[in-house]
Amino acid sequence: MRTKLLVAAAAIALLSTAPVAAHHSFAAEFDASKPFKLTGVVTKVEWQNPHTIFSLDITDEQTKKVTNWSFEMGSPNGLMRNGWTRNTLKIGDVVTVEGSLARDGSPYGNAQAVVLAGTGKRLFAASSRTDAQ
Amino acid sequence: MTSARYVALASAFVIAAFYTAWANQGPSASRPLEAAPRLADGTPNLGRVPGEKGVWNVPYIQNMGMRIPGPDGKTLAERGTASENGGRGGAKAEPDVPFLPWARGIYDYNSRNNSKYDPEGYCLPPGGPRLMATPYPMEIIQQPEHKRIFMVFEGATHIWREIYMDGRPHPQGDELNPTYLGHSVGHWDHDTLVVDVVGFNENTWLDYYGHPHTDLLHVIEKFTRPTKTTLRYEALIDDPGAYSKPWTVAWNIPWSAGGELTEYICQENNRYFLKLTDDFGQPVLGGR
Repeated sequence: MRTKLLVAAAAIALLSTAPVAAHHSFAAEFDASKPFKLTGVVTKVEWQNPHTIFSLDITDEQTKKVTNWSFEMGSPNGLMRNGWTRNTLKIGDVVTVEGSLARDGSPYGNAQAVVLAGTGKRLFAASSRTDAQ
Repeated sequence: MTSARYVALASAFVIAAFYTAWANQGPSASRPLEAAPRLADGTPNLGRVPGEKGVWNVPYIQNMGMRIPGPDGKTLAERGTASENGGRGGAKAEPDVPFLPWARGIYDYNSRNNSKYDPEGYCLPPGGPRLMATPYPMEIIQQPEHKRIFMVFEGATHIWREIYMDGRPHPQGDELNPTYLGHSVGHWDHDTLVVDVVGFNENTWLDYYGHPHTDLLHVIEKFTRPTKTTLRYEALIDDPGAYSKPWTVAWNIPWSAGGELTEYICQENNRYFLKLTDDFGQPVLGGR
């Protein structure tokens, strides 16, 4: 998992043409030692400052229970410099997200890589995490 | 083939190979560095050349303690002896920062809680040198005919500052109203723009890691453009309320050719502030 994340981080570094700002304290809100990889259906995209936030319905494989998770990315100006538009993620898309979990245990995370599950197409990196230590 | 013709042909190949290598290197690599542009009156132009786009791509500098130039003029970050931002070692890991005891204590506190209470985290603007250390691009717009310079920042909180170049002094006493960005007066010292700033309020940190300051803060900034694509920024931090002596930080800011400013309104969905709790787990906004 860690290796995978490192590879993802390297890809992010290569893809990024402009900084996607860290705005609040990443370390205060997210735990870099708690990486996640989750797949679900997009239910909402809030294309907003200071962080674009999207939500996924994620089904637990064992219990079949559906939980709505939210993930934070960079702000629209930074995302657009990195090739996103407000329609890059659409409601109903099935995506796999990698990133770091919230410290408070809520279904919330910082997204560092977003992949369209159907095609494997990697959408541009999105994290507001540039200060994880 | 005579040996002379052979040498000439070989030379042509070598030159062609070099040319191809040079041409494939893209805009920045190993071409001679372009000199910084100047205005019609000879003053350095810290902004765009007419007909071209471009912005300064402000780096994300988190810890000013890593940006103190040593005897060789280079900072720890530039020497590569420390990671770009250093670690969360608190004040004891930064012997070159002349903390007063209370400033040392508050810096250690900010280190321990991962900058949880960083004012920039809830969309207040950066004050002092942090303006040049907060991501997203900025532009410098000179208006010599009006004896003023504007600095326009996409990041921080979509903010601008005005530097008075008309020789006025800082306001004195109660006329000096404490503000986030302070009161800036500037002049040219040869090719260096020197800006003197006082009148800061105490609502900002010097950097993300949480070096504090007081309203006694006095900053002397120096802006130079050694080449077209580099802005060298240096700031003397003189705050007898927080530090036992002045200290200097410096870094380079790269030019982003073709870049333009866009909109960034941090306050739009300021969720972090709404969720922020104090050290006892109570909502920070709850008591208001």
